[in-house]
Amino acid sequence: MKFGIFFEMSVPRPFTDGIEKRVFDHALAQARLADQLGFDWVWAVEHHFLEEYSHCSAPELVLTAVAMQTERIRVGHGAVVCVPEMNHPIRVAERAATLDILSNGRLELGTARSSTWTELGGFGANPDDTKKAWDEYVRALPQLFAHGHTRWQGRAFRMPERNVLPKPIQQPHPPLWVTVTSPGTELDAADRGIGCLGVAAASYGEQERRTREYHRRIQSCNPVSSAVNDQVTTLNFLYCHEDAKEAARTGMRMVGMFGLANSHLLWTREAFPTRAYQSLANLAPTGTGGGNPADPFGVPDGICVGDPKRITEAIRRWEAIGVDGINFILNGMETIPQAEVLASLRLFAREVLPHFEKDAPARAASGVRGGGPA
Amino acid sequence: MILGSARVEDLAAERPRLAGFGAGPVRLPGAEVLQAMFEMPVSAREAVVPPGLHPTNPALCVILAWRCPESPWGPFALAQVRAQARSGLRPRGFVTGAVCDNRDAADALAADFGFPARAGEVLLRRAYDAAWLEVARGGQTILALEGLDPEPLLPADVHYSVTLNLADTPRGVRLVQVEPEYEITRAERLRPRLLSFHPEAWGDRHLDPYHPVSASVVSATLTLPPVRFVCRPDVLAFEGTEKV
Repeated sequence: MKFGIFFEMSVPRPFTDGIEKRVFDHALAQARLADQLGFDWVWAVEHHFLEEYSHCSAPELVLTAVAMQTERIRVGHGAVVCVPEMNHPIRVAERAATLDILSNGRLELGTARSSTWTELGGFGANPDDTKKAWDEYVRALPQLFAHGHTRWQGRAFRMPERNVLPKPIQQPHPPLWVTVTSPGTELDAADRGIGCLGVAAASYGEQERRTREYHRRIQSCNPVSSAVNDQVTTLNFLYCHEDAKEAARTGMRMVGMFGLANSHLLWTREAFPTRAYQSLANLAPTGTGGGNPADPFGVPDGICVGDPKRITEAIRRWEAIGVDGINFILNGMETIPQAEVLASLRLFAREVLPHFEKDAPARAASGVRGGGPA
Repeated sequence: MILGSARVEDLAAERPRLAGFGAGPVRLPGAEVLQAMFEMPVSAREAVVPPGLHPTNPALCVILAWRCPESPWGPFALAQVRAQARSGLRPRGFVTGAVCDNRDAADALAADFGFPARAGEVLLRRAYDAAWLEVARGGQTILALEGLDPEPLLPADVHYSVTLNLADTPRGVRLVQVEPEYEITRAERLRPRLLSFHPEAWGDRHLDPYHPVSASVVSATLTLPPVRFVCRPDVLAFEGTEKV
C-alpha cells in the first residue's frame, strides 16, 4: 500500500489579503513533512475558476516548488486537463518532461478532461469533445516524450515533424494515470494500460467492483505505451488523533465542508445535456458527510478519520479489496489549523504507516512495468 | 460558501398562497418540454436567490416551458424562469416567475404546488429544425427564444433540477419543493438564442441571461407528485428543511 497527499488548494471565503498565500504555504509545509515521514506521493489538481473549492490552476508550478523542497516523495499531476482549449498537448509534454528533470525523475502524470461547466464553459470547450481529446492526448503523449522527431495528425491537434524537448528522465516516460470520476473511466484506464487515479470518494463495495474489473481488464489491454501502469488509487480524507471523538469532531467537519463545496460545483451535465457526461456529481455519500450509525462517532465506513486503530482498520480493508494506494485530502476548505494537520500527519506516520511497512521496498519504485529511470 | 442575498420580504410580496400539501399526483401525458440555460453575470449571482439557498458559480438562468395537451384543467402551457441553486447539497431551480396560458391551470398550479403562475400567452413550437418559445403578457412579449440545430440525445442525457417555489403555505412563507418526474420518449439538444427578455416581468430586475449555454427539447409524460418537503427561505437547508 502506498500513501499520498492530495492538494485541491481550497480557499474559504472571505478572500482576505494573503489567504491564498497562506493556503499554498501550508500545502508546501505539508508536502515537506510528508516527504520526511515516508509518504509516497504529493498530488496537485488542475482546476480553474472554482472559487473556494480549488484555487489550484497551475499545478505544475506547485509541484515544481514541492520538488525543489523535497528529496524523495514523488510529485503527481492530479491531473493535467487534456482539452486543447486549456492545455495544448505539446505544452503538456514539455512541462511534464521539465518537471521530471527538475524533480530528478519523480513525476507521475495524471490526465483528465474536467467535469464542470464552470471550467469547460470558461475556456469555450465543447463538452461533447473532451473524451475524444483526452483519448488522443494519452496516445500522443508517449510519442511526444520519445527520443527524436515525431509527427502527429489527429483531431485535437496536428504537428509536422518536430523534436519535443526536453525529454523526461524516466523512460520511456513518467507513469501515466487518468482521474476517475465517471463510472466506466476505470475501464478506459485499463484498456489503455494506464493507472486509475481515483478522485471521487467511493464506498468499499463500489471501489471493489471497479478495482476488480480494472485488474481483470488490464491483463488484456492495448497499452498506449510500452510502460503499463497498473495501479489503482482511491481518494480519502485523513484526520488522525489519539482521541477518537476529537478526531471525528474535527475530521468530519472537514469532510462535511469539503463535500458541501464539492456539491456546489456546477457540473457539466447540469448545464449542458450530453452523452459525454453522465455523472451529476463526484462524491459518494461517504464523501458528503453522511452519518454512519454503525460507528460510535458517525464516521462513514472507509473514511480515514479517527484514532490510529480505526484508520489502520479502514486501510486494511482498502488493501484487501486491491487498492494499491490511498491519497488523502488533509485539510479541505482549511477547516483544521495547520498545526493540527501536521500533528495528524505525524501521528499517522508513527502509528499507522508501520503496519504497512512491508511494502516499503516497493515504494521507492513506481508501479510501472517496462519503465524506470533512464 | 456563497449565499443568496435577496430579501425574502421582497420576494414574497406577490407570491401564491398554497392551500395545503395534499395535492397530486397530477399526470400530464404527451407534453413537450423546452429548457434553455444561460449564464448570468456575477452581479446577479447572490441577488436573485434567498439566503436559504446557495447560487451556482457561474450564476445560471434556466428557462423552462411545458406544453401539456392533457391535464385536469385542460390543455395548458407554462413558462418558468429559474435561478439554478443549491439547497444544502442538492441542485435546485428557484422559480422567480412563471406565466401560464390557462387560468384554471395557473390557479391550480399556484394553489397546489406554489408556482407563481400569472396569466399570459405561452407559445411553444417544435419543428424538426428548431424550437421556439414566446411568452407575452398584456400584449407585450416578455420572453422570446429560439433553439436551433437539433441533435438527438438519449432521454437520460437531460437533467431537470427539482423546483423550489416561494409561497405562503400553512407553515408560513416557504420554498415549496416540487419534484416533477419526466418520462422522456424523445430528446434533442438545441443551440439557444435569446431574442427578447424582460427581467422585471420574471420577478427580478437582476436577471440577465447574457451568455447562452445549452437548450433541450423533449417529448415526455410529466407527473407532479405530492409535495414532500418545504424549506425556510431564510435559513440553510440543513436547518430549514421540513417534511410535510
